[in-house]
Amino acid sequence: MAQITNRLTPFFENITFDRDDNEIILNFGPQHPSAHGQLRLMLHLQQEQIVKAHPDIGYLHRGMEKMAENMIYNEFMPTTDRMDYIASSSNNYGFALAVEKLIGLEVPRRAKVIRMMLLEINRIMSHLFWLATTALDIGAMTVFLFAFREREYLMDIIEGYCGARLTHSAIRIGGVPLDIQDTFLIQLKTFLDKLPQNIKDYEDLLDTNRIWLMRMEEVGHISKELSLSWGCTGPMLRASGTAWDIRKEEPYELYDEVEFSVPFSDKGDNFARYRIYMEEMRESAKILYQTMDMYAACVKNNQTELMAHAPKYISASKLDIMTQNYSLMQHFVLVTQGMRPPVGEVYVATESPKGELGFYINSQGGPYPYRLKLRAPSFWHTGILTDLLPGHYIPDVVSIIGTTNIVFGEVDR
Amino acid sequence: MRAYTPKDNVQAKPYYTDRFYISPQVPKEAIENDAVFAADLAAIKAKFEVSDAYIQVGQMVVYIHAKNNYGVLELLRDELEYTQLTEMSAIDWLAKENKFEIFYQMLSMNKRKRVRIKMFIENGQAVNSVNELFRSADWSEREMFDMFGIEANGHPFMKRILLPYDWQGHPLLKTYPLEGDEFAAWYEIDKIYGKEARDIIGPELRDPARVDRYDSERFARLGFEVPKGTVITGHEPKTEQSYQEEGGVFMIKKFDKKSSVVIDDPQR
Amino acid sequence: MAQHKINYTQDGGLPVALTSIDKIVNWGRSNSLWALTYGLACCGIEMMASGASRFDFDRYGTIFRASPRQADVMIVAGTLTKKHAEFIKRLYDQMTEPRWVISMGSCANTGGMFNTYATVQGVDRIIPVDLYLPGCAPRPETLQYGVMLLQKKIRANKAGNAQKPKRLM
Repeated sequence: MAQITNRLTPFFENITFDRDDNEIILNFGPQHPSAHGQLRLMLHLQQEQIVKAHPDIGYLHRGMEKMAENMIYNEFMPTTDRMDYIASSSNNYGFALAVEKLIGLEVPRRAKVIRMMLLEINRIMSHLFWLATTALDIGAMTVFLFAFREREYLMDIIEGYCGARLTHSAIRIGGVPLDIQDTFLIQLKTFLDKLPQNIKDYEDLLDTNRIWLMRMEEVGHISKELSLSWGCTGPMLRASGTAWDIRKEEPYELYDEVEFSVPFSDKGDNFARYRIYMEEMRESAKILYQTMDMYAACVKNNQTELMAHAPKYISASKLDIMTQNYSLMQHFVLVTQGMRPPVGEVYVATESPKGELGFYINSQGGPYPYRLKLRAPSFWHTGILTDLLPGHYIPDVVSIIGTTNIVFGEVDR
Repeated sequence: MRAYTPKDNVQAKPYYTDRFYISPQVPKEAIENDAVFAADLAAIKAKFEVSDAYIQVGQMVVYIHAKNNYGVLELLRDELEYTQLTEMSAIDWLAKENKFEIFYQMLSMNKRKRVRIKMFIENGQAVNSVNELFRSADWSEREMFDMFGIEANGHPFMKRILLPYDWQGHPLLKTYPLEGDEFAAWYEIDKIYGKEARDIIGPELRDPARVDRYDSERFARLGFEVPKGTVITGHEPKTEQSYQEEGGVFMIKKFDKKSSVVIDDPQR
Repeated sequence: MAQHKINYTQDGGLPVALTSIDKIVNWGRSNSLWALTYGLACCGIEMMASGASRFDFDRYGTIFRASPRQADVMIVAGTLTKKHAEFIKRLYDQMTEPRWVISMGSCANTGGMFNTYATVQGVDRIIPVDLYLPGCAPRPETLQYGVMLLQKKIRANKAGNAQKPKRLM
């Protein structure tokens, strides 16, 4: 049989040879080690300077919104893991909260505390990962190795809780499935006690490092107007002079009971964003200490409930399912047909490590959402590259992409 | 006789619905309950026609006419301090009333309020682009075009964003199946190898529950491995997979469990 | 000049090992499997973790290279979408023979949980795959075990030029 080779034409479609200006068109990606995934950038260059940038996304578009329309609500939970796969619990939480708001459910306090712990652990994990990859892109291999070491500790804790390292699915609609394991608090405390020293280690390596400063300071400046106009959220917005943290401004869970501050800066450059990530890790550690006390109080007050009691929407506890006939029947219906939330729509925003993670759910009373829109922060943080990159030089591209902290599971969904 | 399958909505259907089940509603509150929203709505109503407005789950929902979307958003941004367009997209109501519903999710950081502006457009009608007001609408409108085929007038680069430029169909329409149509199923094969390769490579296996023990091409046989494409007779010898050959490997030390230390506590 | 005194009759004898060409070539190939950084999605993070401090991929001689022209093994870590499919073919064609492909994770194996219009249902529809790793996402240990199995597979092959290039069709 004759060999059929591929039909792909040479990859010149974006290059025009008969231009008479000095513009070079550089194709960056979609498989580039510094692109944090599958980002493709078409850069128009004058010498080394970028005059026009055209980000091309969609190389990880997996059709999650379409999947949501074909799945019952609980079935969709593992899919949310794969959105921002650096911090999966925050996606689980965003979706769970949206559905809870839709059906008007109050979650038991103990579950709230455990959720907050998971969220903050995820935030530290995500920021550590951000630090590791950005430092690696800029050339600081040591920081990469250090930050991954600490991240592995946190992964151990999470793994002890839910059994998965990366894709947790640790939060359910209506609460959390499990109580934390015995060693959880001890491990967490060991980690948190070490964390300030670890953060100091990274800062010692980076804060006064000449190369780091040259690639970070005064590079990638985002003005306040631009950040608002592009819908930036999270550290991207806070580095540009808007102190907006949804945990603080529109508190969900028990964030109004804990004390923490929102670091922000009006510099707007890469270095400001780097500082905000570092400070946020410290704030998360502060929150985690407080949640540990709150958990101890829950144990003391004998608040053992982990799932909300709503027989129409949430299955009963395992013990009830195994002993009560009615609970078993209702569990069977909920698993096979799915819950049927009321007719209506809801948009719920939570502060994920990357920014505002919103879930818009339009329910028509059926077991499947009629429309589910995932508002992922990275989508707009990628879009801003269009306006941000022109004027910069080629090496700046890598550090700017690094500090935007984009994750392509979330950009393309 | 074949069972009738509706063509206008090919999404998953619940296999059982109680005919007498009346779904509850997410409660809608009157605008007057919230002074900030009431003032905002009054400002919108002073200039534009508002067909409906209510508060649902703490957010104001305002229905406007499609031709006014630019004006309303400009008013919200410049006078009412709604400085961010958080999200916008569409909902497909083609099967029911041949319409799309478009929503703009707005955020005011000073007031700590969120407003959802909604409007209906006919099938095939284009919307006014709000790209000049909010840069975030640039990509959102492209995504909306990609997913629903709704074009935005005045957009500088109205092309697909998530799917390739040569894609056919708009996936979030209810008429588009989850697993894709004929074009989607063969997209990568047609593009890379050409149409004649379809027979050689074969169709996609979309059944996640399919198991075939006689198929050695696609299924592993743990403990009874055979080379790909072998005809399975059922008398395959038991094979044990180890990471290293029994006799040892040239210049490589074999891992010996007895002489190794096992660390129980990874954080030691 | 320093005088090195080696006693060839003690300490394991002469520093000479007798072997065949096949063995020595395969030894070299299998213990310096340079991998292409092809992190597509979630599995890419686990691939990074296996290269990082705790799991330390370097001890297998596996060093991640950013260019397909320097790589021996392509670890397809993550979901391959239809938009990306042509690039995986391009990159595979750019790799030099002999080359191997590890399909890491359910998405790369079969499309996994993403049974949708935009996902390629198995990377083996585009390029030939040597090793499939199950899991979503597979742990770094799985990837390292997979690399060891691939090394075993390489050692079992003849090292000569007569190797038939792998083609999907």
